[in-house]
Amino acid sequence: MKNKIFSVILILLISIILISLTVSAAAKDKIVFADPGWDSVRFHNGVAQTIIEEGYGYPTEVISGSTAATFLGLKEGDIDAYMEIWTTNLGDTYYGPIKEGIIIETSVNFNDNAQGLYVPTYMIKGDSKRGIEATTPDLKTIYDLKDCWELLKDEEDPSKGRIYGSPPGWKVDEILRAKVKSSNLDEYYNYFSPGSDSALSAVIVAAYEKGESIVAYYWEPTWVMGMLDMTLLEDEPYSAEKWTEENGYACEFAAMDIAIAVNKDLPERAPEVVEFLSHYHTTSAMASAALSYMMKNECDTRDAAVWFLKTREDVWTKWVPEEIAEKVKEAIN
Amino acid sequence: MNILFDFPEFFTINIGQHVESFIKWLIHNYDFFFDAIKEGVLWFLLQARGVFMWFPWVAVIIIVFVLGWKLINWKSGVTFAGLLFLIGAMGLWDEMMLTLSVVLVAVVIACLIGVPLGILMAYNSRLEAMVKPVLDAMQTMPSFVYLIPAIMLFGLGSVPAVFATVIYSTPPVIRLTSLAIKGVSKEMVEAGHAFGSTKWQILSKVELPQAFPTIMMGINQTTMMAMAMVVISSMIGAKGLGLNVLQAINRINIAMGFEAGISIVFLAITIDRITQGIANKYKYPK
Repeated sequence: MKNKIFSVILILLISIILISLTVSAAAKDKIVFADPGWDSVRFHNGVAQTIIEEGYGYPTEVISGSTAATFLGLKEGDIDAYMEIWTTNLGDTYYGPIKEGIIIETSVNFNDNAQGLYVPTYMIKGDSKRGIEATTPDLKTIYDLKDCWELLKDEEDPSKGRIYGSPPGWKVDEILRAKVKSSNLDEYYNYFSPGSDSALSAVIVAAYEKGESIVAYYWEPTWVMGMLDMTLLEDEPYSAEKWTEENGYACEFAAMDIAIAVNKDLPERAPEVVEFLSHYHTTSAMASAALSYMMKNECDTRDAAVWFLKTREDVWTKWVPEEIAEKVKEAIN
Repeated sequence: MNILFDFPEFFTINIGQHVESFIKWLIHNYDFFFDAIKEGVLWFLLQARGVFMWFPWVAVIIIVFVLGWKLINWKSGVTFAGLLFLIGAMGLWDEMMLTLSVVLVAVVIACLIGVPLGILMAYNSRLEAMVKPVLDAMQTMPSFVYLIPAIMLFGLGSVPAVFATVIYSTPPVIRLTSLAIKGVSKEMVEAGHAFGSTKWQILSKVELPQAFPTIMMGINQTTMMAMAMVVISSMIGAKGLGLNVLQAINRINIAMGFEAGISIVFLAITIDRITQGIANKYKYPK
């Protein structure tokens, strides 16, 4: 009896597996994108993937991993294209391989972003809806932080306040450390390394949920800044003279080039795709709009990309030849 | 045919949603409770850090040498002292001490929870059946899954690092304590009963001394697992060797990564051999 049941189950299992063997593999060489883990890069991946798949007929794939791991993949050729490289943050990690010719920068995706030290807006203006009073109405620039360090106490060293800095190893980590020194904030504050960007965003969101005071490094466009009402603290206007290591980077961050880069072998394999990527140019407002569409409609980044392609034909049709644009339009409508 | 390939959508359950709203509810309503835990752990940690950072490096190396010599042999003593000296020579002494303070605090908390729980599990098989799957979850659940809520409850820094390390490293001491108590020979316990010992006397005078070497092995395993969490705990703001490893991997700097990584290995070997030495030294005569 037991044996009979067993053989019936076995036959069922085998037939299910046999049916599923009918799936066939794709023919054209696939193009691999990097997903280092944040939403705007996933959105740009989605846009590029849709255009490449529908317009050029290449299959695409996404490999996810940490920034360091995916960037290494780009250098080694496991990843073909990287849609968002925060150039100055990576520093020599990026410019080194560019100089050596291992990777090629095709274009600047967008360069109207912001970064620096942020505080929740309710610290300055209060929030009557949540019953939070303004604790630091005069806080405007990073130099004003000296007067309110007691609000931002470092629990592990209560004699000073705590500034949540950049994830370790980023170029901006060195910049912020120098900046804290050059602005004499180090007399009042400890510069705290949050370990990873997910930890940094978690601590900002948690402080915001509880209505607590916090000052932390962050950057835009990101979903964190889109979701929370945060204020960027002002600094001296940017000048190349002040923005040096000797002067402690004593001015605001200049807007950074967010570049698209490809592995050195891609131009040979798929020259038309590289040509398309070299025309790819957006603004952070476009990415933010698509990401908020995604949050509102609870869909994924690929759907947001299709929504972008449908609504902003004026932008993306300039990146590709006409017949390719026609093919993509047909496929998404 | 599609039903074979795509899991049918009408079976969808959003378990995660409920967990998330539970965490949010905890944050809003029981903040004071977690703050109290945080204060306690933080106090302990700051004391330990203070002592470790104050200790002169020569004294640490001498203590390690003496421990190795007395517990194993003089060659081991020299080796351990040499390993620690190498860490210092690579310029990572302070980072090592910071790492050590987090590991020590985590191991002490793990033992305070683990040993009593292990004893209870040895006596009560129903409790054992309930705790075992929890232990499996603690060891296999990817740490960042519970770390993000932990950051929301405890803030960023060494406290959630200790929390994560305790979660990951407590299971071995629980398992081995329970095993050790169960492994005490029945005759010994019966003899204890025959002499009219109370339950407490049997536990403290018969079972625990016999179980001690195995419990010590559990503590040894716990310490090793705590060392393995050093890098993860740096991802949530603990200072120490892990932070150097993180900086190195984010910059793809092989030299710096190797130095910090090998220092963790040296430190782990030293701690492992010394705690094992303690376990062997106090083996109960058969």
